[in-house]
Amino acid sequence: MSTSSTLRAGVRPRSRSGASLWKLQRSERMAGYGFVVPITVLFVLFVGWPIVFAVYLSFTRWSGFGSPTVIGVDNYTRMFSDPVAATAFWNTIVFALMTTLLQTVIPLIIAVLLSNVWRGLSVVVRTLLFIPGIISFVVSGVLWKLIYDPNLGTLNNLLKSIGLGAWQQHWLSDPALVMPSILVVSLWGAVGMNMLIFFAGIQGVDPTYYEAAEVDGASRWQQFWYVTVPSLRVVTAIVISLNLMNGFKVFDLIYVMTAGGPNHASEVFGTYLYSLAFGSTAGSIPQLGYGSAFSVIVMLLCGVAVLVQIVLSRRASR
Amino acid sequence: MPSNRGTSFFADAAKTSITRRGLLKASGAGAAAIGLSSLLAACSSGGASSSGGKATVRMWSWYTEVKDTLPKVISDFEAKHPNIKIENRIFGTPDQYLPALTAAVSGGDVPEIFAPHVRAITYGEQGISADLKKELGSGFLKGFFDSTNQEYTKDGKQYALGFEAQTFGLFYDPDVLSAAGVDGEPETWDDLIDAAAKINATGKSAVSISCNPGTSALDFFLPLITQVTDDPTWYLKLDQLEKGYSYTSKPVVKALELNDKIVKAKVFQPGTTGTSGDQSQQLFYTGGAAMFFAGSWTPAGLIQNASPEFVKRYKIMKTPAIKSGARHWTADQAGAGLAVSETSKNKDAALTFLKYLYSEDVYSKLMNASSAMPSTQAAVERITDAHVKQMAGWLPDGCPHIPFGAGSSAAGDPLQKIFDQTASPAEVAKQMQSAVENAKG
Repeated sequence: MSTSSTLRAGVRPRSRSGASLWKLQRSERMAGYGFVVPITVLFVLFVGWPIVFAVYLSFTRWSGFGSPTVIGVDNYTRMFSDPVAATAFWNTIVFALMTTLLQTVIPLIIAVLLSNVWRGLSVVVRTLLFIPGIISFVVSGVLWKLIYDPNLGTLNNLLKSIGLGAWQQHWLSDPALVMPSILVVSLWGAVGMNMLIFFAGIQGVDPTYYEAAEVDGASRWQQFWYVTVPSLRVVTAIVISLNLMNGFKVFDLIYVMTAGGPNHASEVFGTYLYSLAFGSTAGSIPQLGYGSAFSVIVMLLCGVAVLVQIVLSRRASR
Repeated sequence: MPSNRGTSFFADAAKTSITRRGLLKASGAGAAAIGLSSLLAACSSGGASSSGGKATVRMWSWYTEVKDTLPKVISDFEAKHPNIKIENRIFGTPDQYLPALTAAVSGGDVPEIFAPHVRAITYGEQGISADLKKELGSGFLKGFFDSTNQEYTKDGKQYALGFEAQTFGLFYDPDVLSAAGVDGEPETWDDLIDAAAKINATGKSAVSISCNPGTSALDFFLPLITQVTDDPTWYLKLDQLEKGYSYTSKPVVKALELNDKIVKAKVFQPGTTGTSGDQSQQLFYTGGAAMFFAGSWTPAGLIQNASPEFVKRYKIMKTPAIKSGARHWTADQAGAGLAVSETSKNKDAALTFLKYLYSEDVYSKLMNASSAMPSTQAAVERITDAHVKQMAGWLPDGCPHIPFGAGSSAAGDPLQKIFDQTASPAEVAKQMQSAVENAKG
């Protein structure tokens, strides 16, 4: 049965430019609404309304009982005098930028190597690198917490067994090492997926570009820099924006591994807002209003990541 | 004849014409059902229910010590009270439990019986938890230790019952102390500092402790205020920020200086502010540390986690005193308590269960089977676990250490700077005052 037979007699397919909601027949419009309404209702109830309510709460003081008290922008101005908020802000930005840099450049390099140099190992390496990506960050967080354990952890014991006992560290309880240690885990989890995106992108690059470059005497590096990288601009824009968004809203990995410790050294907005609103550090008065203000900031930062993606994609498609 | 069952479904479906009107009706009904069910879920004011004519009592806590033993008590109770059903839910840690409790309170659907954490008085004043003095009577409450009753009492009303009492002490491995040349139990902090130097020389940490989250650090620090003042009511007044009491007061600064001195002497393992409760316990029973500062819930944890040889071997000593001959003030109270929802329609059923739970025979058997420290005098007399019995004997030297006051928990954050040596005691005192005032709102 051809697809055209599914069209109602008398209704001609419309060109995209000429399509208009109001030109459709009423029954078709209703059918469209029928398909869209369920997801819209779900979206409004479980995404839209919570966002609106969180924005409202961010202008209030509320402990989860009684009525919220509207306090204007006090929660936002309070952030400037809160030393933990400053640490969380700095850590969030650094984490987002570092994960974006590492989780874009390293997967790109691996994808290029797998496409050109390590072709024989491509399937094995891709599979091995992709496995961490299918494990949830909660599971990998617990796993790496055990690996990093200063007392019984695999890493310190491995270092000791190969004669590098002096290199043993308190990976997650040393304020100077905790963020780099978490970054390694984030990279471990993300490199496979990002590598796969780049790998797929590279397969789509027209091979004649490389042939032409070779004829012109371009080196491998020049081919990478002047052919591969420009051809992957759209893909790169998507990877960058995904990494930025995941970096700004990071919570699960850090919460499981350190809960923001030691002494807030790995605190990010996600973990701080959680501890203010729900955690045991919230104490006798949960601060749902102040916590919501942080969630609004995270939302705005994610908005910035989306804007970055839009700008980069537009430039790439020019 | 070969079966065509596999293909007939598709064939039948193809024959059935789907009319647009039918589709619209179905999708409209679907949307309405989803929306309505969501609205109903959102607007539901109470989960207290009756199933099959039974009153349901939900009981929420993070008290894992009784996870294997409480179900037996519940089934015995249900057999005697066929019209009441108990739904027991034990979360792993306070950090896993509190989000659920906060959400339940915000949604107006509080479990009939719940662990109030440090929010007992706040919830009581807001009308969320019931006044148990009124509901159960003073006679019932008389059997509990004063300290566990006081912590849940304000303005003559009591909003929770102590479930597990607690005192703190230093758990130690006598073999490790002997190997390091430490004879006997250190009596004072100075003695402990001397012992720590000997233990550190063997490549082990002297005392393992958890300061992550920061509130755990308060368990160690707040009793030092009582040691400095020799007045177990001093912290209670500070907790409520009564006039003349602040974190910049001399006793707090002196206590911070003592805490600072202990940390500087490398009494604790490196990275205390990044060490969680389970990690600090593990450091002790795996031989990484000679001693372990923790509360009376630890014997139950060690039975579950450590080797049987270690459980037989370890001992407990009192928290060191500020000077020789002084009282060994140590943190007490009941961190584990039980509150009752004021608004639940099954409140009476919840109270009936509590009366059963705290009946002398049932409660002491439960505490003994769980190696937990009871909150009632009668049950303490029937303790069978030697370690728990020893720690229960320290209750007369108990002092308050739980930050019930509005914003008091926030003092734990700046305190961590003493443990990681990033601020002086005077600076930390100022930051504690500021943090508590900010959190108080």
